[in-house]
Amino acid sequence: MVLPRPGSIRKNQRAGSADVGAGDSRRQFLKAASVATFGVPYLITSSALGSGDRPAASDRIVMGGIGIGNMGRGDQEAFLGRGDIQYVATCDVRDANREQSKARIDDRYKNKDCQAYRDFRELLARPDIDAVHIATPDHWHAIMVIEACRNGKDVYCQKPETLTLREGPLMVAAARRYGRIVSGGSQRVLEDYRRFVEPAWAGEFGTIQSINVNVGPLPQLCNLGQEEMGEKIDWDMWLGPAAWAPYNSKRCSGSFSINGASWRSFSDYSGGGMTDWGAHHFGGATFICDVRSLQPSEVVYHEQSDGKWLGYHYPNGLTIHHNKPGSDNLQIVGTPGEQLPGKPVPAYKGTGGIYGDFIHCVKSRETPFRDIEYAVNTCVLAHLGNIAYQLKRSLQWDAAAQQFSDDAEANRLVDRGRREPWQL
Amino acid sequence: MLNQAFEALKKFDFGTPLSELQAIEDAVIGAHGDSTLRSDLEARLIAALGTDISRDAKDYVCRKLAVIGSSAAVSALADLMSSEANAHLARHALERIPGPEAAAALATAVTSLNGKLKIGAIASIGARGDAAGVAALASLLQDTDAVVARAAAMSLGSIGGSEAAAALQAAAQSATGGKGFLMDALLSCAESLLRTNKVEAATAIYQSLAGDQPSRLIRLAATRGLLACAAKA
Repeated sequence: MVLPRPGSIRKNQRAGSADVGAGDSRRQFLKAASVATFGVPYLITSSALGSGDRPAASDRIVMGGIGIGNMGRGDQEAFLGRGDIQYVATCDVRDANREQSKARIDDRYKNKDCQAYRDFRELLARPDIDAVHIATPDHWHAIMVIEACRNGKDVYCQKPETLTLREGPLMVAAARRYGRIVSGGSQRVLEDYRRFVEPAWAGEFGTIQSINVNVGPLPQLCNLGQEEMGEKIDWDMWLGPAAWAPYNSKRCSGSFSINGASWRSFSDYSGGGMTDWGAHHFGGATFICDVRSLQPSEVVYHEQSDGKWLGYHYPNGLTIHHNKPGSDNLQIVGTPGEQLPGKPVPAYKGTGGIYGDFIHCVKSRETPFRDIEYAVNTCVLAHLGNIAYQLKRSLQWDAAAQQFSDDAEANRLVDRGRREPWQL
Repeated sequence: MLNQAFEALKKFDFGTPLSELQAIEDAVIGAHGDSTLRSDLEARLIAALGTDISRDAKDYVCRKLAVIGSSAAVSALADLMSSEANAHLARHALERIPGPEAAAALATAVTSLNGKLKIGAIASIGARGDAAGVAALASLLQDTDAVVARAAAMSLGSIGGSEAAAALQAAAQSATGGKGFLMDALLSCAESLLRTNKVEAATAIYQSLAGDQPSRLIRLAATRGLLACAAKA
């Protein structure tokens, strides 16, 4: 049996709202209409046919967005600015975000066509949508990414992509099962660490023995009390799979605080600074050392007078330190006097940074720079670290089994129960 | 300090500083490797669940029992399964407590509960990945409540293996409505079989899904699976 190569799939099958085929219907309609001879001037707009750098509607990627807060808005604007995107749907549990998002999209296209949703499942069920971007709090990522894959959508998911160790393999499996392009959302991995990446990939450090990542803090349990709801928000949906808790503006703030003033600080919704900035810094470290496809086999917990710190040991001999006293962020210990053969540094495909890379891959079915598997492996470092610090002990990690070896308590922290009716 | 923390637990609620319970947190971590300490602490946590403490305090206790709870805690946790306020974190603990007692408590909950709480129990059986839960879930695949049937299918997919796959295939053959969630769970089972080198069984599932399926997404997924099987055969 021979499958068509991904790149050779018919254009109208390209982005694979592959199930029901309404996406096909839309394109087939436009193509059929464009060759019709009767009434064409009145049916087909210049926008539909394309002009300049704006492809015809049948060649645009039809997109929607879920979670249009601080990061989601930035992502949305990046996609909305592209001529090869037709942005048709937006979803947020906050009324203000949802309405502002719809207004932004309608203004972009000078129409009122964008559909706004409170429930992401309605957006994902639309067969005409090829791809979605997700920028909700982290406790929603896995459920939404997997559901998007089940619905045949390609996905750009903001970092940190996972909240627990168990979520990652399930997200990767869903992406692979349905042949979806799923890109993680750290642009910094490629863009911020070039001064380390380029010499490392050129072999100038020799064999890298270790690299240090300084990032934090750890997440904290949130026990904030009830506040009057000063905004219109579907609170039950915001909490989703997380434990019930009363509304509190700090609990659900989308600000970038990791010190108690936003959801990024709290363990029910985030891995704290360890995942929030760790997605960037650990991602940069694994890129510099070219271990993006690997997970460590051991995390060693150190507690001494000048602080607590970790050493992640990889099967290939590399150690990634976390917060090692006296070490700078991304401080590299190489092998003096050794010059390794250089290798080309991976780069984004297409144009427009990480967003362009994703869209290029949606069209070509190539693997994006921040493929979900690499993103998951980065998050694993942060999660392992959080667990080791919480338990205050060293842990052996069996990456193949996705379990800790000989530590039943640690294995209880690999995942968490989800509030009904949500499940992975 | 620990006594003070348990005293504070009696008045603990949303808005109370978590620092008041820090001694319990420390004791949970410190009990690692000390079965006596652990049993004593577990007993105090179980006892607290039986008192008139707040919803938040019970949730906190469930979170701790999720780390150190044993079969001794199952009964107290199972009692919370019918409470809309505490069912989630009680399940969170039960999902993590090894042994047949916790599995049985969840299976009982599936038959006795309704609505979201029932769905939660179904999800927890799947999260445990315990093959002993297959029979209880299989009977729900034909449930008249489509949400229950979908949850059962997803949990069977999480458990994986031949027995779960057989239940899903039987349900798929007799289903008259949407089958997407059954197909997705079957694909998940096939992947679990392939991971454990049961290539023949995985191939059979993929073949059943690659043929005359109305869903192109499922057909392509099954075809990808067949290629993976061929590469492993």
